[in-house]
Amino acid sequence: MHNLDEQQWRELLQRLRRFALWLTREPGSADDLVQATVERALSRRGQQREAEALRAWLFTILYRLFLDGKRRERLHARWLSWFGRSAMAYEAVGDNTEDIVLAQADLQAFAQLSTEQRALLLLVSIEGLSYKEAAAALEIPIGTVMSRLSRARAALRELTEGNPQPPALRRLK
Amino acid sequence: MTRLIPGEDELHAFIDDHLAPGRRAEVQAWLAANPQEAARVEAWRNDARRLRAALAGFGEQPGAATLDLRQVQQRVRQRRQRRLASAAVLLLALGVGGLGGWQAREVTLAGSELPMADAVQAHRLFAGSEALDIQASDPAQLRAWLGRHFSRVGQLPDLAGYGFQPVGARLLSNEQGPAALLVFQDRNGQRISLFLRSPGDRYERMPQGQRVDGQLEARYWSHGAYNFALVSAADDGRGAGVGEALRLGL
Repeated sequence: MHNLDEQQWRELLQRLRRFALWLTREPGSADDLVQATVERALSRRGQQREAEALRAWLFTILYRLFLDGKRRERLHARWLSWFGRSAMAYEAVGDNTEDIVLAQADLQAFAQLSTEQRALLLLVSIEGLSYKEAAAALEIPIGTVMSRLSRARAALRELTEGNPQPPALRRLK
Repeated sequence: MTRLIPGEDELHAFIDDHLAPGRRAEVQAWLAANPQEAARVEAWRNDARRLRAALAGFGEQPGAATLDLRQVQQRVRQRRQRRLASAAVLLLALGVGGLGGWQAREVTLAGSELPMADAVQAHRLFAGSEALDIQASDPAQLRAWLGRHFSRVGQLPDLAGYGFQPVGARLLSNEQGPAALLVFQDRNGQRISLFLRSPGDRYERMPQGQRVDGQLEARYWSHGAYNFALVSAADDGRGAGVGEALRLGL
């Protein structure tokens, strides 16, 4: 990580942030997630990576941190509901993708996929990770990667086809 | 070729470019012959392409400064140092606690918080030695000596029944005032000693009890104006009887 130049570092951060944004659907949380990922990676200096493996490794860390956060959130929501508060209100906070997504047909369809499907498509189609790396990052068996990939692509296809007329490009902010 | 018709997984691998070159060519040929499947695969590939285009640049931090690796590094280092520092403090605390505890234990021993520790100490120091104030093989002699120094003590019983004859006695004193060590010995040279002193302010009257200290066993009790302790070898079975006799007599 230390031998990356300025440009490589910026690009890597951007990729991580993109991944984080689609997971958390919230810029603030995404930035926190990226920062936590980089810190975690730096604190494990013993595990030096080759440049290629580095990216997959960082995605792995990020996804794990994301899942940990989700778990905590769910626990928190359960606590809230035990105390009579609605968990719905809590969940809704994280769901303002519209603020960060260009209201573009392709992304609208993509945004409707489940978090797991989005994560996998991002890693495979956008980041170009191998199936093995994606399986490791998402902590699922390779068979699950393949079936999930198949379902995700079919779902995306359907959503895109059902929505052939893209609305005007606009940035909701 | 055994697998001419590519499976679903292979079709995905085909558009993700994860097929070996040979197989890739085969799949391509198969798709050329199967336009319906080719359209399906092409649609996926198009989706991926459009997604890539839509997401290009996505995630760049608008305006905000990018995460500075050096800063993060520094933060991580600081956190690690803090953690190390906490660990050191903890270690120090444990160390001080432990050391303090050990020293407290020593103080306790020196201060004889253990009941009649001074009796055991006196026995160790003097019972084996000849440095006794008086040599007395006659119980009556020892009894007289004891009465002279400790006016309020009862009748010293004769321990001959247990095989012990008086050897002598020594006057001692510690910060609590005068004390006495009376030494007895059996025919084999095995010695026991009776220690007595005033309760003092640090040595309150204590309940009857006994404890083993190393190879020695101390039986102690309070009676009248004094605290008593009989110190014998821990493996000497006569200790209980002798202690009982002394307790009743004194």
